[in-house]
Amino acid sequence: MSDGNSFWIEYEHMFAFSPQTGPARRSRELPVGLADRVRPTTPVAGRLLPVPPSLAVLFPDRALRRGTTTTVAGLPGHGATTLALALLAAASQAGSWCAAVGLPDPGVVAAAELGIDLRRVVFVPHPGSGWAEATGDLLPGVDVVLVRPPGRARQTAARHLSARARERQTALVVLVDHVNEWPEGGDLALSVGAIAWEGVGRGHGHLQGRRAEVRVSGRRSAGRALECSLWLPAGSGVVAATTQSEDEPAGAGSGDGPEAA
Amino acid sequence: MELERLVVVWCPELQQEGPRGEEARRFVQVVVRAGELCPWVHPVRLGVCALPARGPARFFGGEEMVVPLLVEAVGEDAHVGVADGLFAAILAARSRLIVPAGDVCQFLAPWSVATLARPDLAVTLQRLGVTTLGQFAALPPPHVSDRFGADAAACHKVARGESGELVGLRDRSIERRLRVARGEDPDLGVEPPPYQPGFFGGASAADTRAALSFARVQERLGIEAVLLGRIQGGRDPAEQAALVPWGSPEAAAATTGGVPPWPGRLPPPSPTLVLRVPRQAEVVDDTGRAIGVSGRGLLNSEPARLSVEGGPWQPITAWAGPWPVTERWWSVRRRRARVQVVTADGVARLLCTERAQWWIEALYD
Repeated sequence: MSDGNSFWIEYEHMFAFSPQTGPARRSRELPVGLADRVRPTTPVAGRLLPVPPSLAVLFPDRALRRGTTTTVAGLPGHGATTLALALLAAASQAGSWCAAVGLPDPGVVAAAELGIDLRRVVFVPHPGSGWAEATGDLLPGVDVVLVRPPGRARQTAARHLSARARERQTALVVLVDHVNEWPEGGDLALSVGAIAWEGVGRGHGHLQGRRAEVRVSGRRSAGRALECSLWLPAGSGVVAATTQSEDEPAGAGSGDGPEAA
Repeated sequence: MELERLVVVWCPELQQEGPRGEEARRFVQVVVRAGELCPWVHPVRLGVCALPARGPARFFGGEEMVVPLLVEAVGEDAHVGVADGLFAAILAARSRLIVPAGDVCQFLAPWSVATLARPDLAVTLQRLGVTTLGQFAALPPPHVSDRFGADAAACHKVARGESGELVGLRDRSIERRLRVARGEDPDLGVEPPPYQPGFFGGASAADTRAALSFARVQERLGIEAVLLGRIQGGRDPAEQAALVPWGSPEAAAATTGGVPPWPGRLPPPSPTLVLRVPRQAEVVDDTGRAIGVSGRGLLNSEPARLSVEGGPWQPITAWAGPWPVTERWWSVRRRRARVQVVTADGVARLLCTERAQWWIEALYD
């Protein structure tokens, strides 16, 4: 008799789609990280794109906000390229498409060391005079566009690109030598100041890490002019905060996940 | 901007599809046979296909060697020409010419404005007394865009030799038509995605959007303008990585990111700017004597100052190395050495010396 009862209960559940049975149990068995990996590729995604944990302090939202323009300024050789490429690392790993326009000779190995997923980043190294048009073409298609204008950008081009990024909800990262080379001024302006290389002496050692002072300003910095010290990059090629590993720039523990921030 | 140098194969008999539809099938054979000789053949429209000239020219020993080989390989009545940019290359193919690099304006000048395939514009221009592309190119660009609009401005850029791409020059449905001619399902694999995300192997909406935008940039700047990075083995920063065109078969094998160990490579961090063309530099010591590397792999003195391409002398604050590089010791022996140099302004560079000449290979920006 009890056998008969259990059979009927099973039989009823087959049609009742009770939440306790089959489908619910199976959905719980989905891989843990799957939801996180799928999220950025869906249009209803949040308005934030992840950045490496050590760079989160630079952003008021602790992440790159879609639709905003961020300028990264620094004299040639001061690490602005490293900082700008690092902004693509976490987003590309999370599955977002990124593009880098106008970086003439990108160091692909350095990009990989910074944590960039090379399958998700396209380079347009020589757009020539068509850099603004190429950037405009890419803005609707990818999540982050890094662009290096050849010299000071025209006001109309800058305004047009910022507006298009806002409209298409794409994060625009502009790499310039001086902040005023981007006439619009970014929503957020990062500038690399004083730098010092470590690990290299007069004829011994090798380049291990670059300590750099990074200043944050701009409309969306919420009035706080923040200054912090970063390894651009640390010994393993990733970007790290100097406070974490003051005496050892080996840059260990970069992939610890968001709780490390 | 420099235009991409293209070889165009133009088959006059295959331009119109006849009632039996055999032209498309014969054109598929043309593309396949040309592809067996040279890589990167892509159909432009029915009867016209194009390929980058640089690689085959280097392989076969000059563009004038490539053209007869292609004519023979294709097997149809084909006209082959070479020029900068697609528009000029098609005209060059029609008259079986090889237009020398940089001569595209002189080549285009005598052609009629009707070659732009804009009947309204051509009629208007001819009434104004502007009959050739050369006369059209001589008009000031702001006046052209003010008077005739954006499409005419694009035509004007083509006439001036600044661009090779024109709307309508490429048949957007050609890939689909050729798939039909090959007997394949025309709707299968519309755009082969270069990267298949892990979710059931399908391309997501974001991938399709990205692919469309990359194709638009390729249409604007040429196939080789949109590149993916790929890591491979090697010692030099330039050898360790390659940039391959997006959408190419090589790009499908792009790596995930990790850098494999390779004997002889410098420890990380790697330089973020790897110069394709190294810059000449001079390195001297306190007394102004040029620094060299001895046979034992040691510097002959302490480097004190650096000058890039005859620029101002910058004091050197720190350096590391030299790391000797002996490559291909079994054949031609190249003795080189690398030095990392930091100058007083804080900039770090990777220098290389060979036969008493210093080169800047890369920058740590």
